[in-house]
Amino acid sequence: MKNTLLLLFVLLGLSLCMVKSTEAIESPTAQLKPTLKALTDLLSDESLKGDINRSERRARIMAAIKVGFDFQEMCKRILGRTWNEVQAEEQRQFTELMTKLLENVYIGKLESYSGQQIEFLEERVKGERAQVSTTIDNKGVKIPVHYILNLNDSKWMVYDINIEGVSLVRNYMEQFKTILRKEKFAGLIKVLEDKNKSFEVQSSAGK
Amino acid sequence: MAMISLNTHAVRLFLLVCLLCSFEVATVRDVSGGTQPDLLADEMSEEEEAAGEISDPLEPLNRVVFEFNDKLYFWGIKPLRTGYRAVVPRDIRVCLGNFVSNLATPVVLINTLLQGRWEDAGVVLTRFGVNTVLGVYGFGDPAASELGLTPRSADFGQTLGTYGAGAGIYLCWPLFGPSNVRDSIGLVADNIAHPLTYLDVESAQAISFSAGSYLNRLSLSSDYYEEMKRYSLDPYVSSREAYHEYRNARIGQKGENSHSQSTPAETEMFPAIETQL
Repeated sequence: MKNTLLLLFVLLGLSLCMVKSTEAIESPTAQLKPTLKALTDLLSDESLKGDINRSERRARIMAAIKVGFDFQEMCKRILGRTWNEVQAEEQRQFTELMTKLLENVYIGKLESYSGQQIEFLEERVKGERAQVSTTIDNKGVKIPVHYILNLNDSKWMVYDINIEGVSLVRNYMEQFKTILRKEKFAGLIKVLEDKNKSFEVQSSAGK
Repeated sequence: MAMISLNTHAVRLFLLVCLLCSFEVATVRDVSGGTQPDLLADEMSEEEEAAGEISDPLEPLNRVVFEFNDKLYFWGIKPLRTGYRAVVPRDIRVCLGNFVSNLATPVVLINTLLQGRWEDAGVVLTRFGVNTVLGVYGFGDPAASELGLTPRSADFGQTLGTYGAGAGIYLCWPLFGPSNVRDSIGLVADNIAHPLTYLDVESAQAISFSAGSYLNRLSLSSDYYEEMKRYSLDPYVSSREAYHEYRNARIGQKGENSHSQSTPAETEMFPAIETQL
């Protein structure tokens, strides 16, 4: 009898642990929602609008994005097979430059936001990857946007965005493939550096 | 003893029912979750990746045309659009756009039917009836604003794709931009199906109608081409890839897609498809 009781307690304890560990990982949608909410809030924040607040707005947006978006993973996937072929130092260099470019792309895209409604449709989980399907309402036209996430230390992080069937990661991957074929890794780094410089020129001209 | 065996039997039955129920729930959920495309299956092997690559043997020529279109955009189309936007108020441009799409109803209807999208075909027909009568020849869109029936779109390139036709080689047309063999054939077929072909108009008039509706369409969309160019390192590859994936997604999604109407994004980034429709 004592043994049975003990076993029961052990089982109970174990099952509680299991419940806890599954509950600790929130669903991909539940993790993505606050990130997007934080971003839309920042973008509708009147006190951050205008050119004077540009750098502060930019810094706050980037801080909010990094909570739910995994830029490192994005960079790795964009480079594809080449990622494993280059040196660790080159990986670091590429990640730094590519993250900068993605920042510019994101900030630019986000700044055209003007209160459009995001609707969450459904999520799909396959092992350690998930897809959250949403639509963004642009003047009555619903544009499908899918977020692709990766489970990273019990946290779901976005590593790709698919707008109307077009994947951001794949688009850059294909562009880089052509550049890598012709100009190798050094050429790619140079193209990235030039592209990032073009944004600096633009932003200082915009001030 | 008989009681016990009945009990276990009952328990077994209960468990079976539970199992079936949970299975039922699971399948139901799966069906309801099937409306969105599955994008998680993109972990491809090397061979698959090679097979999925766009065939572009004419790349050198296509790149020349792409450059030409780029110049045409900045020197011709963009100033023209800016002027048109300044002269014609937005409301009127929206009305003109409605009229043009209402006129193209037969093309969309045929293609929804050929693709077996019965529900969409019904919406297309209803929209035509409502908008032609209540929307004054289609200048207004009460079907969308009052009845919530948003525009649907379908083209013959998409129809060919649903029947399993491959894209063929990639083509970049002057003025029309990104396309492929399948969609180019589709574009010609859709033009033949267009009512304008059967109206007693001179070809010069037909061309000016097409040009006018094209400009009107551009005036209503944002500057997607410039945005794409700003963010990409090789705009030619970026637009080729985007066109390919976008068209594939459109072929994959038939039926219940509520957002299948042409968005402003398509119009400018992928002008080959929507120009005439």
